[in-house]
Amino acid sequence: MNILTSLATILIYPLKNGHAYLDPGSGSFILQLLIASLVGGFFIVKTYWKKILAFFRGQPSEAEDDQAE
Amino acid sequence: MIAPKDQSRDRPAGIQTLGASFRDPSGFLFTAEGVLYRQVNQAYQENYTQLMDSGLYDKLVKSGLLVPHQEVDIEPAVPGKAFKVIQPKHLDFISYPYEWSFSQLKDAALTTLKIQKIALKFGMSLKDSSAYNIQFHQGKPVLIDTLSFEVYEEGKPWIAYRQFCQHFLAPLSLMAYTDVRLEQLMRVYIDGVPLDLASRLLPARTRLVIPLLLHIHMHASSQKRYASKTVDTSRQVNRTAVLGLVDNLETGIRGLHWTPGGTEWGDYYEDHNYSPAGLEHKKQLVGEFLEQIQPDTVWDLGANTGFFSQVACERGILTVAFDIDPAAVEKNYLDCVKRGEKNMLPLVLDLTNPSPDIGWNNQERMSLIERAPVDALMALALIHHMAISNNVPLSRLASFFHQLGKWLVIEFVPKSDSQVQRLLATREDIFPDYTVEGFESAFAEQFDLVRVEPIQDSERRLYLMQRQKN
Repeated sequence: MNILTSLATILIYPLKNGHAYLDPGSGSFILQLLIASLVGGFFIVKTYWKKILAFFRGQPSEAEDDQAE
Repeated sequence: MIAPKDQSRDRPAGIQTLGASFRDPSGFLFTAEGVLYRQVNQAYQENYTQLMDSGLYDKLVKSGLLVPHQEVDIEPAVPGKAFKVIQPKHLDFISYPYEWSFSQLKDAALTTLKIQKIALKFGMSLKDSSAYNIQFHQGKPVLIDTLSFEVYEEGKPWIAYRQFCQHFLAPLSLMAYTDVRLEQLMRVYIDGVPLDLASRLLPARTRLVIPLLLHIHMHASSQKRYASKTVDTSRQVNRTAVLGLVDNLETGIRGLHWTPGGTEWGDYYEDHNYSPAGLEHKKQLVGEFLEQIQPDTVWDLGANTGFFSQVACERGILTVAFDIDPAAVEKNYLDCVKRGEKNMLPLVLDLTNPSPDIGWNNQERMSLIERAPVDALMALALIHHMAISNNVPLSRLASFFHQLGKWLVIEFVPKSDSQVQRLLATREDIFPDYTVEGFESAFAEQFDLVRVEPIQDSERRLYLMQRQKN
């Protein structure tokens, strides 16, 4: 998925409901939609930036997460 | 693993459900003949199957992030609802967030986020993010609730976002920016620190820290604004956005730091009055006493930074090192992490007001006494703080220790000792019984004296006692 597609699909869109036992809370739910959309964009940029850095350093691009695990 | 029992007798004989295990319809914990099991309900079948078949369970267990379990063939506690019964690996001690140091809570938070990131890769998501689902096992935080995962539905927000902010981000930011003692709010609020309270208590400058602005201050405002409104929960966001949210929370947590008084650690703890030979002698005696009684578990009460707790854990004894000072516990924990220590668990505890039974029906979180007895207690350079600073009569102290441990390694610090003189300097001496004779006589009512040794270069004595059976 390229950056533009990712940014496009990050927009909020309507879907079906879940069945969790925790109440997400109205205010928390609305805020999460807002924040997730905002920081999700930064996250994509950050992820690609890391990939670019990894490429120039000759490191495998998936290395970071797996090292931490 | 020990946990409070639900006293309601609605189960077959010998089976008891646990008092903390009732919110999630996915399943519950129960004990049968003293062994802890978890019933997985049919309602959770799809999620459990995905956890086990997707490779997520193996990945998390291999990484030491999730407690391993075995599927067992025993009678479920509620057969009509059961899909499976699993037996989780035994944990030696259950501790709670209000007993953790700053870095313990921080590591528990980062572990939760790491698990969520991995879960999303395997098509699952954490459906709760309670700090109580994390326990320290062999020195590391581990998720103990196997039923915390649900199949991730593309577009669904992170259902446990609010809980994560209340259980982790709010207390950690209060500890880092306002006062480390505010962690005790976790003891008052069973579902984490309310965000409006955190927002009020945090200094204004935290509004300049983006993760705290978003997840605490704006979050609190949003909760207030929508408190009595119904929102359309069918609107959703995609996986990348959820990953971005988790990443931003992680940035926020990683950005929180705490050191006592904002100082470097250095020689923060050198407050004792032993000569080097006296200190070495005391260490040797503690080691000898432990060799004599061979305990599997030790609680070191008033452990400070864990100097003498190490004598126990170096012998392979599981040692819980309690201290009232969050800075001492923090230093002990960071040292344990550095050494890769597996046998020590440092915890914050005020012995004059130990952790009570709290939560629904007073059965969700165990008191200190409910988690007793331990094989051996150590109470070194502690008695004067209890008997003089806190006015606890020696006989009551003996009764308290009698409930907690089978063996007792205890140091008597006489009035002539400079540390006791310091405590008496500003107050009237109303403790005529605080003498060696008074101490021995008070403890003889509850314990049998096994050994007593004077500590070199001091007027202190070290006792080994065994509790009497009542």
